[in-house]
Amino acid sequence: MSGLGDFFSQIESSSLATTIRDSTILTGTLSGIHLIGLTLIVGSVLVSSAGLAGLIVNDQPVAELTRATRRASIVGMIISITSGLLLVSFRLNMSAATQAFRIKMLMLVVATLFHFLVYMPAARGQRSAVATKLAGAVAFLLWFGVVLGGCAFILFE
Amino acid sequence: MAEWLFHLCEQLEATSLGVWVRESIYGFPILVAVHIITLVFSVGIVVWLDLRLVGVSMTGVPVSRVYRRLMPLAFVGFAVMTLSGGSLLTGFATSAYKNPYFRVKLVALLTAGVNALVYHTNIERRIALWDRSPVPPTAARMAGLISIAAWTTVILAGRMMSYTLYTP
Repeated sequence: MSGLGDFFSQIESSSLATTIRDSTILTGTLSGIHLIGLTLIVGSVLVSSAGLAGLIVNDQPVAELTRATRRASIVGMIISITSGLLLVSFRLNMSAATQAFRIKMLMLVVATLFHFLVYMPAARGQRSAVATKLAGAVAFLLWFGVVLGGCAFILFE
Repeated sequence: MAEWLFHLCEQLEATSLGVWVRESIYGFPILVAVHIITLVFSVGIVVWLDLRLVGVSMTGVPVSRVYRRLMPLAFVGFAVMTLSGGSLLTGFATSAYKNPYFRVKLVALLTAGVNALVYHTNIERRIALWDRSPVPPTAARMAGLISIAAWTTVILAGRMMSYTLYTP
């Protein structure tokens, strides 16, 4: 077994991972919390993108309009990533071998990088610039892809 | 247990849609994916109207404008979510009937619906008085909080349901 596989096996056999694995209520609750986090991210990015495109108001600074959504998207990320790590902690090796999980992780990395490097600075900037609108639309599509990858993982794991 | 309701669930499962949901290779996964995606999409939007009602976000934007600009999108999501959820139910109606989390989900959905009805028929009628107010009146804030709590419960109970549907 590879070094990474051994590391995953150690996590899988930890008391935290086995406690989650053995409890349907804990697993289901974590799954619900994970979905709530994703809902917060997708909703925040969507509403923020509408604000950036000038669809909500045109007479207010965009940074003020998107302040709450930017914060909420980070809260959503913390919730979904923490709960997601706990959810896969008892099936890391199986998850890593699943194509849908790999795609979801790739989408997550790309979406997170884009979120912090492109989308967040754009959401603090000027409204209605083509690049700003594009940043909002791409961020939404990337997070939408993460949710889609999650659905595929749930259904085909 | 109401026998007539259980019998209705059996009849639902026997419909061609119910059989298709259970037996087709792609029917179930596609419906689940559509249900989850539209839930994330529509609840993700509704939360921002609720937060405006509570008075914690977009406080400089009139409530009526937030509603007009965001809710049409959410309504499309809710319509597809209801259709996909209803179709899924036909495939597993008797199991869902016995599942306590499904009942919690239904009560939470009903609460969200009644709350929206009360908001539109009662609280919203005087919106001209508080539309631009950063912090709306108590009744509007309560409607926002109840909506957030109800949809959170719907999501949690929905996920619990999928983990326990076949547990006796």
